[in-house]
Amino acid sequence: MSSDPWQQWRAFSALFTPGAAAAAPGRGGPASFAPFTETAERFAAAARAYMDATKALAAAPADATRMFTDSLRELFADFQPWNAGMGTGPGGAPSGFTTNTAALGAAREHQQRGERMAEAWRRFEDAQRRLQRLGADMLRDAAAHLASRLGTSAPVDNPEALRKLYDAWIDCAEEAYGRTAHSEAFCNALAESVNASADWRRELLASMEHSAKFLDLPTRSEVNTVLQRVKTLEEEVRVLRKAAEPKAAEPKAAEPKAAARKARPARPKAKR
Amino acid sequence: MTLSRLHEELAAASHCAAGCSQKQAVWHSGKVTLYRYQSIARPAAAAPLLIVYALVNRPYMMDLQEDRSLIRGLLAQGLDVYLIDWGYPDGADRFTTLADYIDGYLASCVQHILNEHRLEALNVLGVCQGGVLSLCFSSLYPQHVKNLITMVTPVDFHTPADLLSKWVRKIDVATWVGGGNVSGDTLNQLFLSLMPFRLRQQKYVDLMSGTPDRARIENFMRVEQWIFDSPDQAGAAFREFVTWFYQENRLIHNRLEISDRKVDLRGLRVPILNLIGKRDHLVPPPASLALQQLVGSADYTALELDLGHIGMYISARAQHEVPAAIAQWLEAR
Repeated sequence: MSSDPWQQWRAFSALFTPGAAAAAPGRGGPASFAPFTETAERFAAAARAYMDATKALAAAPADATRMFTDSLRELFADFQPWNAGMGTGPGGAPSGFTTNTAALGAAREHQQRGERMAEAWRRFEDAQRRLQRLGADMLRDAAAHLASRLGTSAPVDNPEALRKLYDAWIDCAEEAYGRTAHSEAFCNALAESVNASADWRRELLASMEHSAKFLDLPTRSEVNTVLQRVKTLEEEVRVLRKAAEPKAAEPKAAEPKAAARKARPARPKAKR
Repeated sequence: MTLSRLHEELAAASHCAAGCSQKQAVWHSGKVTLYRYQSIARPAAAAPLLIVYALVNRPYMMDLQEDRSLIRGLLAQGLDVYLIDWGYPDGADRFTTLADYIDGYLASCVQHILNEHRLEALNVLGVCQGGVLSLCFSSLYPQHVKNLITMVTPVDFHTPADLLSKWVRKIDVATWVGGGNVSGDTLNQLFLSLMPFRLRQQKYVDLMSGTPDRARIENFMRVEQWIFDSPDQAGAAFREFVTWFYQENRLIHNRLEISDRKVDLRGLRVPILNLIGKRDHLVPPPASLALQQLVGSADYTALELDLGHIGMYISARAQHEVPAAIAQWLEAR
């Protein structure tokens, strides 16, 4: 195996990324590896360019650092864990309903439901935009910290230096992310994103239940009602059974308390 | 090692079974099972120890492999170990509440053990969220708890470093959960989002960059399996937990009720050992340390270890320190 982690990653990617079957004939692999493999490789390419620039002195170290950190910001621009973090957002196309239209006539309830869905979608998109802005700021913050950590000295061009550079970037990114994630603005935007998607989902469910009733199909609400009745019955049975149990089933309260202090070994055949 | 060999090791390791100690199911109800572990050492003179694990994630993290098993360490100390496996809730469990878990399943497990051993009280070890459940149970049934051990257990949910708490405080949990369960996949993404660059990037680079031997890869894959083997959460219990603890911080404000009964930690007077991970990113140390100010116990011990949340169960250091600390503490009582 190569000692260069980035070459390892390239080979690893070839083994596990669908479409790279030629590198590993007959073996499939988890596609989930692809995103971070690709990111690692792109990081390696940017780092290589940075090292080459500083080595050849084609650019001043400060300029090379700026170019490097800019490329990292671009590389991680789509890295938005919060999108997946709190449940799926509205996945479908936005509703054709618009808000601020008078709801009149027999279809007014459906119209209002559609308007609520459209409004929830608008709130969700707005929250996502706020999160994206915060994400961009976070990456700028991370890049600035990495640049200050790199200073003006040129790094040594070897696999260990590359790995240290990567770890330094992860440290800076994580620290910047931590500052952002703890901020009021981020918490507000994240909560609004989750709340809006939950509102949208609730209205969608109501809409689907309406259609199900029309087709005489059981709805989730009806199933829930049955489940709650079963749960209530189970609780009643449990209470009745407990009341019917003889007192002997209670813990041996009559035993001297000293017995509880030193429990009897319950397994005489225990290995010694 | 060639790359082909590495590929084979990864593929083989991904199917390795987690859990190493012999155990027997001794009680079950619905999806909940109570296990008793087979002893491997001379029995200690201590009451049985019931491990109450969290509802999120699976309890086999406590018994991952022979050299990374807190349970094995406890068994080696001669303790009689029981464990509650909450199972995988499905849609039929969506209305299961915290009262059902604490006053129903947990209380029934305790009752079973007490009946089997003809005891009045046993020892309880609550882990993470399971520690919260254990605190509630101990407050409701102090007569059944001889000693209480809490491990990486949050008590104050509003400490400054608690990112999870900050995120969920403004979320409309009732609407978010809706009438259903909360999927394990959602929780996985949420936990990854706490440290996304490390958990979604760096750890895989570490995997590739380190020594590619079989044991190391299997260790990695066992933990990887555990991390993403997240059960769906019963909707009602999840909603209650987030609302009552993360949002309203009811333990701190002494406003928690389970089954219409007050959970007043000030009335909790059993001996308490509080195990805290100094580098815990999920449960910041101050969130656990707050316990001392809340309980009425005169016999309270806090043990801070230089470990992270998961390291508390599986790190090499934990294997040496944690079971021995628990056994010694119990023996002294």
